[in-house]
Amino acid sequence: MGRDEHEHKAKLAETIRGDLVTRRTFLKGTAILGAAVAAGRAGLLAPREVLAQQKVKRGGQIRVAWVDTVDTLDPHFTSSLGAIKVHDNVYNGILRVDYDGKRVSFVPDLAEKWEMPDPVTHVLTLRKGVKFHNGDDFTAEDIKWNQERLKDPQVKSPHGWKLAYLDKVEILDKHKVKVIFTKPYQFLPVAWTGSTGRAGTIVNRKAVEKQGRAYGRNPVGTGPFKLVEWVENDRIVLERNPQYWEKGADGKPLPYLDKVTILLIREESTAVGALLAGEVDGMDLVPFQFLPLLEKNPAVNVVGGVEGNYTYVGMNNKKPPFDDKPLRQAVAFAIDRKPIIEQAYFGGAIQACSAISPPMTDFYNLDQCSSKRAQYFDLEKAKAFRAQSKYKDEVEVEWMVVGGYTGSGGVGPRMAELVQPMLAKIGIKVRIQLFEQATWHKKRNTGDFQMYDEGWVADLDPDETIYPEWVTGKPWNFVGYTNPEFDKLVGDAQFEADVKKRKALYDKADLVLALDAPCAFIAHFKVFKALSKKVQGFKYIPADSMRFHAIWRA
Amino acid sequence: MLQYAGQRLVHTLILLWLISVFVFVLMKMAPGDPVMIMLGSDYNPESYALLKHELGLDRSVLVQYLIWVWRFVQGDWGYSYISGEYVSKMLLQDALPVTLYLSLGSLMFALIIAIPSGILAALKRNTWVDYAGMGLAIFFNSFPSFYLGIVLIWVFGVTLGWFPTMGYHPPAEDLTKGIYHLILPSFTLGAWYAGLIARITRSSLVDVLNENYIKVAKAKGVQGRALVYKHAMRNVLIPVVTIVGLQLGGMLRGAVMTEVVFALPGIGRLVTIAVLNREYHLVQATVMVIAIMFILVNLSVDVLYRYLNPRVREL
Repeated sequence: MGRDEHEHKAKLAETIRGDLVTRRTFLKGTAILGAAVAAGRAGLLAPREVLAQQKVKRGGQIRVAWVDTVDTLDPHFTSSLGAIKVHDNVYNGILRVDYDGKRVSFVPDLAEKWEMPDPVTHVLTLRKGVKFHNGDDFTAEDIKWNQERLKDPQVKSPHGWKLAYLDKVEILDKHKVKVIFTKPYQFLPVAWTGSTGRAGTIVNRKAVEKQGRAYGRNPVGTGPFKLVEWVENDRIVLERNPQYWEKGADGKPLPYLDKVTILLIREESTAVGALLAGEVDGMDLVPFQFLPLLEKNPAVNVVGGVEGNYTYVGMNNKKPPFDDKPLRQAVAFAIDRKPIIEQAYFGGAIQACSAISPPMTDFYNLDQCSSKRAQYFDLEKAKAFRAQSKYKDEVEVEWMVVGGYTGSGGVGPRMAELVQPMLAKIGIKVRIQLFEQATWHKKRNTGDFQMYDEGWVADLDPDETIYPEWVTGKPWNFVGYTNPEFDKLVGDAQFEADVKKRKALYDKADLVLALDAPCAFIAHFKVFKALSKKVQGFKYIPADSMRFHAIWRA
Repeated sequence: MLQYAGQRLVHTLILLWLISVFVFVLMKMAPGDPVMIMLGSDYNPESYALLKHELGLDRSVLVQYLIWVWRFVQGDWGYSYISGEYVSKMLLQDALPVTLYLSLGSLMFALIIAIPSGILAALKRNTWVDYAGMGLAIFFNSFPSFYLGIVLIWVFGVTLGWFPTMGYHPPAEDLTKGIYHLILPSFTLGAWYAGLIARITRSSLVDVLNENYIKVAKAKGVQGRALVYKHAMRNVLIPVVTIVGLQLGGMLRGAVMTEVVFALPGIGRLVTIAVLNREYHLVQATVMVIAIMFILVNLSVDVLYRYLNPRVREL
């Protein structure tokens, strides 16, 4: 065995949690190490976990307020974070995201062991004794059916692209399956996680075939909770799955709770009021403006950290005036990120100088901003760029904002108001226009805008956060940026198995992106959840997650 | 009489048809569509085109409308694009009862507070009772219900803890719990209404008390309660009933705000979310139901009016 492989084995052994895997798996290439957080970075993520102070107590129920929408509980068709947080409790994935306060890792969930005989072949040994909520046994057939469902063009799943390089799935025996790809796709570990990845979430075939379109309202998974009631726009009620396979600290099956009621409140101040009055035990998302109020409250714990996201000010590269590169560069250097973080995010964010965010730790550069190699605030530099622009006179532009969580984690309008005077200093007059969701989406998707802002949330691998957003012609490249050098760099990085080489490619691509300035990178924002102090044992994971698996009510 | 009823029915149907066309066209003219919303950040042109076709949204507006009408009159009100749930169930079974209870609660609350206040203010007119009462009435009539709701939640729900801050429980299942949860929302929605009714009642009673037949009754020796309730009330109520009926539309507007603030799963909240998500079927059906409710209310007001005012009965 070569030295590299020894190193990989050792690194892997550190990363993968021992208590969930009976035997250590080894991996050629380092795809699974995609996001290990070095100890020195703990400060950045700075999670405030709820530490267990009392012994585990079984039984009881909790009520939580959900502020974001839940569109469907069919994970292969959802794009809403509110839904993903529910999936995490109703389903399992092939893998799941784990976080121990220092490292983010992708650990086996339904797959007990993951072997890679060669860079494109994956052999999964599955957990035995797992049952779906309807009593069906979980077997290799389910992996095969789920992966094929995603790829099926008739099914039209919006996540099908994650398995574009899937060649075939072979069943080796009841609990062993071989998955073969055409190329060594590095994004795979994230895609195979059960919550954010969605492409690895395992749904029950019988239920889908029987219910058809109604399956999204009647999910059947293998998770610790099963859905018993969904009253439209009112509540989702989950009850304990007594056959769940994972064991708790007391040796008996999880979960500890009997019931979780998710109230679909949506109106933020109402949810906060309910939490403070003690009518709900938690909130899945704390809007930034309520942070100071909740952090002060002695009955409530606020947990959160920087997650896989970045906010940017997008400029339409295809239309005047931002078809002019120096003008865009001027904008990128004219924006002072500090007041935005303090006033728009109420301190709940850090500056972003790249599309790659802290939880993607093997690829995130701690000195990305301090090194000043990318974009940063420098008014003189901005003015110099401005002078090079072909638009010499004052330019008038329209900045479209949207309210709600869509708008840069909820702060779009506030941010636009802060940036407006900054851009006035370099001869750009900004007119802020507020649109509602549907109109804003349409304008963004069809390129019918000059300037807009977005808080882009991505899965925890650099590929998904940089490739479909900035490569020429890709569906999420709303600003119409194009640079063949950049395209090649991130294209190669998609299949580069060596982490160091892959990171070098992204570092280079990052600089190209920053200096071309198709957008101005603003911040990586923190995502907060609030829980009553009566709720114990909650583990924060920086990935759109609110797991009820191992929490109990004191 | 039958001819009259027949005429009204025809007028009603034509009105409903016009409303349906108007709303349909208006919704289609709004930029954006449900497909884009559903795809959200997973948008790409291929998925968009496929889904649009699957939902039948790439056909001409006229064809879409005709298909909708044909199905609607047969009872097929379509389904929600996002949830897949049947519109008729979402609307009639789940949401309508909530709004009806809320409206009923608000109306009762408003009438119980407003009419006695108005009467008292009229009887003690130009005293501090009158000024205080009518001052409060104007205050609540102008206070925006959205903000009032939030203030009530924070004062009575969070700080004092006297009432629940949100949520709906069907009174049919648990009367006490149901009513308890409807108290703050009913106050919020009813307050505006109460202010209006109190002022109308007061001015109406003041007018009536100046009428000749009241003077005759006084001369005959009738006084106090009998004077007000037996002789004056019916005539006082005529303008009140008229205004109450006309303003019922305002109640619905307020219901939207109140339902959002208190997280009540009623029609107001349903249609708001539906419009923002461009759920065409849901919006159409909701508007039709609301229009029908309006028409029924107007009918009831007319009937009540005829009962109160015998002179109208010959028509």
